[in-house]
Amino acid sequence: MALHDAAIIAYAETKIVPVSDRDIWQLGADILEQLLDRSGHEKGEIDGLILSASLTGAGNPFWSQATADALSLELDFCQTVDIGGCSPLGAVARASAAIDAGFATSVLCLYADTAVAEATARARSFGQEWTTPLGYIGPPAAFGLLTRYYEEKFALDHRALGKLAVTQREHAILNDLACEKLRKPITIEDYLQSRVINDPVRLLDSVMPCDGASGLLVTGRRAAEKRGLTRCVVPVGYGERTNYQASRALVDPTETGHSVAGDRCFAQAGLTPRDIASFHPYDDFIIAIMMQLEMLGFCPHGQGSAFIRETDFGFAGDVPLNTGGGQISAGQAGLAGGGTNLVEAVRQLFGDGGARQVTNTRNALVTGIGGIPYGRNWNSSAAMILTPDA
Amino acid sequence: MTDFNDLTDLDRPLPVERSFSRPFWDATRERRLLLQYDRVAQAFQFYPRPTSIYTGRASTLEWREVSGEGSIFSYTIARRARPPFRGHEPFWLALVTLDEGVNVMSNVIQCAAGQMQIGMRVRPHWAPLSDGRHLLLFRPAEGGSPSG
Repeated sequence: MALHDAAIIAYAETKIVPVSDRDIWQLGADILEQLLDRSGHEKGEIDGLILSASLTGAGNPFWSQATADALSLELDFCQTVDIGGCSPLGAVARASAAIDAGFATSVLCLYADTAVAEATARARSFGQEWTTPLGYIGPPAAFGLLTRYYEEKFALDHRALGKLAVTQREHAILNDLACEKLRKPITIEDYLQSRVINDPVRLLDSVMPCDGASGLLVTGRRAAEKRGLTRCVVPVGYGERTNYQASRALVDPTETGHSVAGDRCFAQAGLTPRDIASFHPYDDFIIAIMMQLEMLGFCPHGQGSAFIRETDFGFAGDVPLNTGGGQISAGQAGLAGGGTNLVEAVRQLFGDGGARQVTNTRNALVTGIGGIPYGRNWNSSAAMILTPDA
Repeated sequence: MTDFNDLTDLDRPLPVERSFSRPFWDATRERRLLLQYDRVAQAFQFYPRPTSIYTGRASTLEWREVSGEGSIFSYTIARRARPPFRGHEPFWLALVTLDEGVNVMSNVIQCAAGQMQIGMRVRPHWAPLSDGRHLLLFRPAEGGSPSG
C-alpha cells in the first residue's frame, strides 16, 4: 500500500499568536527554513508543495502557485487542499499518493494561516441563503444545537468535558509554542462557570482564533533510508469522509464520518483503538473530542462521559490527549489549525516531546474535522495513524 | 411575556436567491411554503438544492406545498451575535423537523425560556423581508398569536 511507503522526515511549527505581525508568506518561509535545517534537504530538492486552504489566501484562485512563487520553489506538483481542518492530514495523504505516483519525491506540506491579521475569504455557501438571515454565527451555534441534542439523547456530564479542557490546558502550559495567553491553569469549576455563548456551549469549550503555521516534509520511505535519515514517521492508516450521510434528509448529528474514516484508518493500519498510544484529535469544541472517542470506537456511542471519567488523558496517562494543548489551549491557527495536532503527534513520535514526552511512542492517532454543513455535524472527517520507523 | 427577543424590529440580511431556489422564495411572497419532493425516493428534502439528495438527478424533483408545522429537533440560545443581530440577544435558534421529515433552521419567536423543549410542536410564522419576500420563522403551536 502506497501510504506505508511515505515518510515524514521533518516537522516545523511557529509560535501561535493572537494576531500575527508577520505576513503569511513569512511564516511559510520560517517553516521552510526549519524543515531544510532538520531534514538536510536543499531547497532545490523540494519538488512538491501541498497547502492547507487558508482564510488569508482564500480569495486567491492561484494560492499554491502564488505561495510557490513567494517561497521561490520550482515544483513538479502543487495544490491546495480545501477540506477545512482535515486539510493538514489530507495533505499528507495526498503527498503520499503523489510520491507513489512518481509526481514528486519531496513534498512540502505547509499549513499557514493568518486569518486574524488578514482574512480575504469570501465563502460561497448555504449560509448567505439559509442561516445568515437568522443571526446564526456559525460553529458556536452549530455546536450549541448539536450539544443540546446530545444532552437530550444521552447523558452528558459537563464535568467530564471540563476534565478534557483542564487536561489540554495542562499540556499547553508545557508547550512553549502555544498561545501565551492560554498558558494558564484552569479548573473544572472555571470551565463550568465560563461564559455561555450558545447554550450549552461555553467560552472554554471553544477555540480562540489565532495566527500561526506548521509544516512537514514528506518523502518516499526508501528515499529517506537512502539518505541515511535515522528518524522518520510513517503514515500507516488513513480514512477521509466528506458529507457523511449526504443522502438523508434527517441525520443524528451526534454520529459523524469518523465512524467510516476511522474504520478504514484502523483497518489499513491493522490496529484497534485499544492499541493507540496517543490521541491527537482535531478540537474546535471540547464535545468534538468526546464525539470522536465514540465514533472512532474508544467507547460506545453515547458513553463518552463515562469513558472520560475513567480515563487519564494526561501525557503520562492511559490515552495521552493532544499533548501540545490541542487547538483549544494552544490556539487555532485559522484553517491551518489542523496542523497543530498533527505536528505534535509527529514531534512525540520523534521523541522530541520534552517535558510532555509520552512514554509509549509505538503510534499516534490524529484526526481532522472540516467545515460545518447545514444543520448537521461537520462536512469532513479524517483519521490518520502514524508510526515511527527508524 | 418573554425575556427572549422576537427579532421583529430587525432589518435582516436579505437571503441570496439561487436559480434553483427561486420557486421557494417566490412562494414566500404569498406566505406559502414549498419543499422539494423526490418522486422516486418519495421523500422531501431541505434546503433546496440543484439536485435530489436521493437520486443525484434534478429530473426526479418537484415542488410541493406543505403546512410548515413541525416539532423542535434541537435548539440553542444565541447569546452572542453579529450586527444587525447584536444587541438583540438572547434569541432562539432552532432546528425544526417539519412533519414531512426535513430539518429547517430558524428562529423561534413568542417562546418563553421555560416553554422551549425538544419535541415541542411549532407552527410557521412568516416574517416580512424588505423586498417582499418572507422569512420562515416558527412559534409554539400552543399559546402563540395567529400567524402574521
